[in-house]
Amino acid sequence: MSRSTRKLILPGTIAALIVATVLLAPVLPLQDVRGMDIPNRFAGPSAAHWLGQDDFGRDVLARLIWGGRASLFIAVGSALFAAIIGTALGLLGGYFRGVVELLTVRAAEIILCLPPLLLALLVVTILGAGTWPLVLALTILYTPNYARVVYAATQQVRGLDFVTAQRSMGTHPLKILVRTILPNVLPPLLVQMSLVVASAMVIESGLSFLGLGVVPPTPSWGLMIRSARGAMEVAPLLLVWPSLALAGTILTFNLLCDRLQSALDPRAVTAGGALWLRPRSAAAKTPAAPVEAPADAPLLEIRDMSIAVRDMELVRRVSLTVRPGETVALVGESGSGKTLTGLAMTGLLPDTLRVTGGSALYTTREGKAVDLAKLDEEGIRALRGDEVSMVFQDAAAALNPVLRIGEQVAEAIRAHHDLEGEALQTRVVELLRHVGIPDPERRARAYPHELSGGQRQRAMIAVAVANNPRLLIADEPTTALDPTIQAQILQLFAQLKRETPGMGMIFVTHDLAVVAEIADRVTVMYAGEVVEEGPVAEVFERPRHPYTAALIASVPEGGAERLTAIPGSVPSPRQMPAGCRFAPRCAFATERCTAHPPTAEHPAPGRVTRCFHWENVT
Amino acid sequence: MTEAPSTAPLVVAESLGRNFPTRHGLLGRAHDVWAVRDVSLTIAKGETVGIVGESGCGKSTLGRMMMGLDLPTTGTMSFDGRDLSALSGPEMRKLSRRMQMVFQDPFGSLDPRRTIGAQIADGLRTHNIVPASEVKTEVARLLEQVGLPTSAAQRRPHEFSGGQRQRIAVARALSTRPDFIVADEPVSALDVSIQAQVVNLLEDLRRDLDLAMLFISHDLHVVRHLCTRIVVMYLGRIVEEGPAEKVFGSPAHPYTRALLAATPSLHPGDGSDGDRILKGELPSPANPPSGCPFRTRCPLAEEACASAVPGLDPVGKHWNVRCIKAGPVTAAQEVPA
Repeated sequence: MSRSTRKLILPGTIAALIVATVLLAPVLPLQDVRGMDIPNRFAGPSAAHWLGQDDFGRDVLARLIWGGRASLFIAVGSALFAAIIGTALGLLGGYFRGVVELLTVRAAEIILCLPPLLLALLVVTILGAGTWPLVLALTILYTPNYARVVYAATQQVRGLDFVTAQRSMGTHPLKILVRTILPNVLPPLLVQMSLVVASAMVIESGLSFLGLGVVPPTPSWGLMIRSARGAMEVAPLLLVWPSLALAGTILTFNLLCDRLQSALDPRAVTAGGALWLRPRSAAAKTPAAPVEAPADAPLLEIRDMSIAVRDMELVRRVSLTVRPGETVALVGESGSGKTLTGLAMTGLLPDTLRVTGGSALYTTREGKAVDLAKLDEEGIRALRGDEVSMVFQDAAAALNPVLRIGEQVAEAIRAHHDLEGEALQTRVVELLRHVGIPDPERRARAYPHELSGGQRQRAMIAVAVANNPRLLIADEPTTALDPTIQAQILQLFAQLKRETPGMGMIFVTHDLAVVAEIADRVTVMYAGEVVEEGPVAEVFERPRHPYTAALIASVPEGGAERLTAIPGSVPSPRQMPAGCRFAPRCAFATERCTAHPPTAEHPAPGRVTRCFHWENVT
Repeated sequence: MTEAPSTAPLVVAESLGRNFPTRHGLLGRAHDVWAVRDVSLTIAKGETVGIVGESGCGKSTLGRMMMGLDLPTTGTMSFDGRDLSALSGPEMRKLSRRMQMVFQDPFGSLDPRRTIGAQIADGLRTHNIVPASEVKTEVARLLEQVGLPTSAAQRRPHEFSGGQRQRIAVARALSTRPDFIVADEPVSALDVSIQAQVVNLLEDLRRDLDLAMLFISHDLHVVRHLCTRIVVMYLGRIVEEGPAEKVFGSPAHPYTRALLAATPSLHPGDGSDGDRILKGELPSPANPPSGCPFRTRCPLAEEACASAVPGLDPVGKHWNVRCIKAGPVTAAQEVPA
């Protein structure tokens, strides 16, 4: 049983208990609901009458259970009827659009124009008070709500590829609606359902309270509240019982619907934590006093760094060195840990992840050595943007959509410098011009959505280099771009490199061809480990790890008749092979590979490979 | 089912155009936005045609029209001699058995709430490909054909990696035993090593099943590898089409040349490519430049380019280019004035 299914047990049991109790009311050993006992009116709880007696001396417990029968039937019944009709209307309207939409969703929306209580009053007045007219009134009342919710959800889902796939398969539209779209619009439908059940119960109580719902002497929770109100001073408890029942039932239904929603979603719910619950292990975060770095120290030296989520190691003992002015490419497939390594350098790891070992010594402008992996939030914030900064893959998501481009660049500058007014503006425009945005004075006032993809990426690079960082981390900065735009952005990076000779760069990418264009050194990662590193030209000329060799061979360049594919896929972090992690997919693998993880070998000065068979690779 | 003679193309698109009129403001005049304009294309059985272009060039819209998912505003699209826009709903659904699609995003193209087996079986059941009792065996066979274990049928999409999902999508497309497959950027969302798996799979299937295939991509290397014929599109129009080795070996249109130069390579040149990098960006299709759509970014543009849209003229056998200054030049040669 999955975690989400287990979570259904509690609300499911309570709801089942409630439903069973009201259903079994006729067979339960209850007192007569209508049996009056005037001498004992307003009597408190006793052995015979557990919850006491009301203004006619009737048993409150019996009336509560029988009353629940009426209230629940009306609320759940009308919620279900309305759900069925409204869903059908919403699905049809949302999928077919056009005239169908007019006849279904738009027609249903007319009801929304009428005040709900008035509408209910109208129906009840025409058909007379009673259970069924009330169900009808509430059904009419709630149908447009469902129709609207389902209509909106359907419109979102109908454009998705899997619906298009069904269409192109020649599936009948009605079948697509029921089989493909309905399950995918269920979550908002369930939320709506829980709201409607609650609201219907309240309205039922209200109408009964007004004398327009259930007719006395048939009990309902609304009627009970109504009669108890008159005797509030004498027997306040009479008001408490039906109110408690009402509130408890509504809460149970809401909980049930919430849990049902997560149980119905096959995708695992990602565990996220509130920011203030962030684990802070005091020991790991004690910042070491900055030490004077040696004069020839590299800009960044990561040694044996590991990153883990709870007990699962995602990055294991990664080492990486960046010298001033050097561009190091971090290459790997998805799941290789390359992005996490980059994020860790800016202290931007997701909350559930932590650096569990190793160090990342960074040499600051003042020549001090600090360990980025051990800095606390305050310390890393002082460096972030000023000395170490980052360019993200998706500029559209990384830029704030409601702030003008110029303000976002200015914000980055102000975070570390006391620049104001005219001087700040000049600097912003200068930066935008520097990254090749045409007409920067005007563009500074543009919002991100007014720029094209390439321009947005340039704007984000402007934000990143605003304070002349010494280490720039670029995470797949050209992956989402078209070839001609990608070429422009790569050219921009090359230009930045030329103009700021001291700046080191970590270029995270999965594209080997991009590595060849931009980087000086390359570090190849696989399944959270570094498998090979060295100067780009040498590594590409003669890879010394089977994975690197296979990656290069799988690039569809050159005239090979058939592409070399690496069989299988990257192992999941839960099931990492014991020895070399690449062994299960490797053509060179022997018994030795599956027994022990290979140690670092140095085939040539400045090169590292982690493979027992590196001599035979190429 | 009547078998078309092997010489006749299976899929014929004739001067296809698709307009998405947009209105600015409540009372504004509708503005024509042509996503695709005047595209003619034929694909025969066993042939793979590659469509190359950047986002916004209309390649995906073209793919959808060729699948009959979208009706063209102008022109006709016929499959096996039948005009798609003249077909009724049931007829179209019946014909769609023979045309299938593989999508770009392997995470969006599968229904997250249903098992793999159920989704592959959909096509089998809809078109009664096999008797109901054999659906299970057929699903297993399809999964094996794309290199997945048969136990995959019981699992849901989120349990698979991107490459595996793309294989599942291919298995689903193959379930109806189609003659024509449109693959819309099927490998762009995948890792390099997985890309090769899927490209090889598509290549094998095309050969073994004699499929006609339309392969849409912005990755020139993949297209060159897989396709026999290449169509390069820019702002809704075909700017160059021809045999793969011609279009890539000696591109005749300046845009094709720019696209080739812009594609990063494992063996970068001496850096002289710098001058070749295209300036500027794609103009908005709502407000295309007069004359040749490429002239605003073209290094060869002159006054004559602004006057009229150049015709798609032959520069070789089965090789057409839409440029008044077209000439097949190799990358090393100087551009003739």
